[in-house]
Amino acid sequence: MISLAGRDIMHSWGKFVFTGMGLGLLIGVTLSMAGIYRGMVDDARVLLENSGADLWVVQKDTLGPYAESSSIYDDSWRGIRSISGVADAADITYLTMQVRRKGVDVRAMVTGITAGGPGTPGWPPYLIGGRQITRGHYEAVADIATKFKLGERIKIRRNHYTIVGLTRRMVSSSGDPMVFIPLKDAQEAQFLKDNDAIREQRRRTEENSAFNRPGVPGLLDAIIASQSINTYVNAVLVRVATGHNPDEVAESIRRWKHLTVYTRSQMEEILVGKLIATSAKQIAMFLIILSIVSSAIVAFIIYTLTMGKIREIAVLKLIGTKNRTIVGLIMQQSIALGLIGFVVGKITATLLMAPIFPKHVLLEPLDSIFGFIAVVMICILSSIISIRAALKVNPAEAIGG
Amino acid sequence: MKKFPFQKRTLALIAVLVPLLVLFVYVALRSGPLAPVSVVLTTVEESEISPAMFGIGTIEARYTYKIGPTSAGRVKRLDVNTGDYVKAGQVLGDMDPVDLDARIRAQDAGFKRAAALISEAQARKDYAQTQSSRYNLLLKSRATSKELAAAKRQELQIAAAGLTAAREDLSRTAADRKALQAQLNNLLLLSPVDGLVVSRDADPGTTVVAGQFVVEIIDPTSLWINVRFDQTRARGLAAGLPGQITLRSRSGEFQTGRVLRTEPLADAVTEETLAKVVFDQIPEPLPPIGELVEVTVTLPKMAAAAVIPNAAIHHINGQPGVWKHVNGHLQFTPITLGESDLEGRVQVQKGLKSGDQIVLYSENALKEHSKIRIVDHIAGVTQ
Amino acid sequence: MTEKGITIVGVKKRYGSGDTAVEALKNVNMHVAPGEVVGLIGPSGSGKSTLLKCLGAVIEPTAGQMMLGDDLIYDNAWRVKDLRALRRDRIGFVFQAPYLIPFLDVTDNVALLPMLAGKPNAEARKQARELFKALDIEHRAKAMPSQLSGGEQQRVAIARGLVNRPPVILADEPTAPLDSERALAVIRILNEMAQKFATAIIVVTHDEKIIPTFKRIYHIRDGVTYEEKGEGRSFE
Repeated sequence: MISLAGRDIMHSWGKFVFTGMGLGLLIGVTLSMAGIYRGMVDDARVLLENSGADLWVVQKDTLGPYAESSSIYDDSWRGIRSISGVADAADITYLTMQVRRKGVDVRAMVTGITAGGPGTPGWPPYLIGGRQITRGHYEAVADIATKFKLGERIKIRRNHYTIVGLTRRMVSSSGDPMVFIPLKDAQEAQFLKDNDAIREQRRRTEENSAFNRPGVPGLLDAIIASQSINTYVNAVLVRVATGHNPDEVAESIRRWKHLTVYTRSQMEEILVGKLIATSAKQIAMFLIILSIVSSAIVAFIIYTLTMGKIREIAVLKLIGTKNRTIVGLIMQQSIALGLIGFVVGKITATLLMAPIFPKHVLLEPLDSIFGFIAVVMICILSSIISIRAALKVNPAEAIGG
Repeated sequence: MKKFPFQKRTLALIAVLVPLLVLFVYVALRSGPLAPVSVVLTTVEESEISPAMFGIGTIEARYTYKIGPTSAGRVKRLDVNTGDYVKAGQVLGDMDPVDLDARIRAQDAGFKRAAALISEAQARKDYAQTQSSRYNLLLKSRATSKELAAAKRQELQIAAAGLTAAREDLSRTAADRKALQAQLNNLLLLSPVDGLVVSRDADPGTTVVAGQFVVEIIDPTSLWINVRFDQTRARGLAAGLPGQITLRSRSGEFQTGRVLRTEPLADAVTEETLAKVVFDQIPEPLPPIGELVEVTVTLPKMAAAAVIPNAAIHHINGQPGVWKHVNGHLQFTPITLGESDLEGRVQVQKGLKSGDQIVLYSENALKEHSKIRIVDHIAGVTQ
Repeated sequence: MTEKGITIVGVKKRYGSGDTAVEALKNVNMHVAPGEVVGLIGPSGSGKSTLLKCLGAVIEPTAGQMMLGDDLIYDNAWRVKDLRALRRDRIGFVFQAPYLIPFLDVTDNVALLPMLAGKPNAEARKQARELFKALDIEHRAKAMPSQLSGGEQQRVAIARGLVNRPPVILADEPTAPLDSERALAVIRILNEMAQKFATAIIVVTHDEKIIPTFKRIYHIRDGVTYEEKGEGRSFE
């Protein structure tokens, strides 16, 4: 027996392939949607993974430092470090802001990392170019997504920094690329507004007669100096020593230090469950809509193709073709259309959508397999209307008229 | 079917579908999580490194002279302005004496009165002396009573004491006047050294309290830099080490200098070690006091050892190590790190030998069984 | 009624029921012997389409008997279970329009029937090609239907009707779209084939050009058949 569906496709393959490509673009968008969701979850996971921390110590009763703002004293780490089971503790600051380079603004998450060296919690775990920060000031390691180049000078608040290293996939949970700078500079950047603001603050302080007393020389200077110090950080990253249970260590920090502590899994829950929950719902909605649109399109195309062959089907039935063969003809075409669509979709999603999309698009092989199964299912379901129409055709229609 | 009945169509179909399938297979295997990780390798080299440390500081003057009146008063005159160079002993300004001159005149009158009182006391004493001598003679010749003669002697003693008192009064008045005169002289604000006026904090007419300064003078030859080094990287910091100084206003230009001393007290709050660095030659024009400078202090060269870039260092469970490339496979090798320099080169004390191939950069985090693809540079990185 | 070919006795067909019932076929009696080509002529509405559909086992008559060769296929009810197989294996159809499957080439259009019957592809194609020589379409065996002329298409359609060597062929206005020369050619072929394969052929037509060629004609009027002798003219 020859494959009727195959012959029909071969006969009008141009129409078929182009229809399949059109469908493919739609499937590509659908796959990209799933990829965007995966990318967001992956961004969150990578953010946690790359911080190298097992525990996050933040301001009491906040969901910091990513989902809420948190601020704790920058010497809190000393007390935390001394708790049993803590292998390393390091201050960290996060500040999402515009970073200037040659007059162009780039939105980035400026991360202040404790001096120490590679391996200190918060430091980028691997680079794709350049080197890690060696100076305690005015050096930066930037994510490649910022489009900064090695050796370039960028401006963060009032200071210039030299890009000495590049990372990849170091992004905040909202997808902003990270720029790592030394903690002290970051604290300053977080605190210092701009020169105008500082002058205004000074003027206000000077005008306050309580601070500017004629009989007490030096008081004003002391007050202004105390105003320009920032002794806060956003969180302390803690690495738990091998052999200790992170939950237990977290519990003892919570009990003795009156701070809130999150473990890796809790942090992941905060990021995935709270921070990107709305976006995830949006994407789920889009996925459903796109699936419905795709199946409607497949159904419509197959229905049109079948209706165009209605007389042939009548003849086939008259000359004794089994229903099974006719169902096979329609369903195989539908699935073939789905296959072309899937292949084209996968290619466009990977080669076109993923690289040009501003957000990270992660196409998981498992998602592709599920997508494939879904496409086949959708095609089978969509062909049901056409199959019903074809089976209703009376072979008598071929005779006379 | 041995021969296809519609060859042209079939060929066209193949021309479309085959590249599509090839692309699909490529896409499925070469991108996403199944794709191999691009890595850049480097070779461990034997090399000597010169460790250095980097700190920032501000320019300060070692000696600062704050000139002001010793007693409360009003500024009468101020001859110098910020930025003026002054000589030692130069009069900078003058305080308003207010009632000081009148008080000196009163003291002068008092002095004269005291002198007059001395003459009076002298006259009294002379008369008492004469009387006393006469009654002594009379007593010898028994012409008067013993009692009377004793009374005259006592009168003489009283007159002598009165004279002494009058004399002391005169010297007190003289000293009082001298004190006033000294105060008058102290109203002049004098420069103690050759120096530069850096601030003028009060203008004529301002009333200042004792101890408040009016003019601040520094010795420009005594400029130094108060540098702060992060404690974790301050190992080996010592007096005498050479340093490179970059002024914020003259970035790209280097001044040479050396560490004068390291402060015995560190900053406990900021976790920094403090040191004073002096210029070998004070830059001209004089940099403003308080300007931010970057200081790189060079430590003595270390003996040659295996050296790796710091980007190659990875940590697994807190253990530093590198990914060694052996026969196409990756292998995490724990290492012990030694000194490092500011260019990011780190000496390896244990774990590697020169000639070993290690991963320098990688596109993704590496694992023991990661599939890798060796490239010259990671896509997107340009120097 | 032991003669081969097709025999129809007293076939009735009523559409609907009760008051609105229409008797399309009232009393149809026909016999076509193997190798014979007969004409079936009637005005529109006379019931010839209904008769053709009944013969073609597409609709069920209401009463009567139909015999195909030795087998009684209808005796007030279908005697054959698989009508599809009956149509496929024992009745050949040739339509007014050729109704070829546009996505199959000539060989496969014809070979499709034996294939549907379960024959291997190669054998089915061989069986198809055997007919092409007789029908003079050998040279177009690999062409697509759209590349053929009207006459060629009709010949392929005849080949399809013949390929399973059915004892009977039903031809519904096979010459309608053709000019007289080609129409006569088709009738000649049908006659040749009838002779060659001992097939009974019923040609439904109202084509004046070909009516004179039949030796025997059945007229159908108001659901009743009347047999009549034809002119039996030659085709040339």
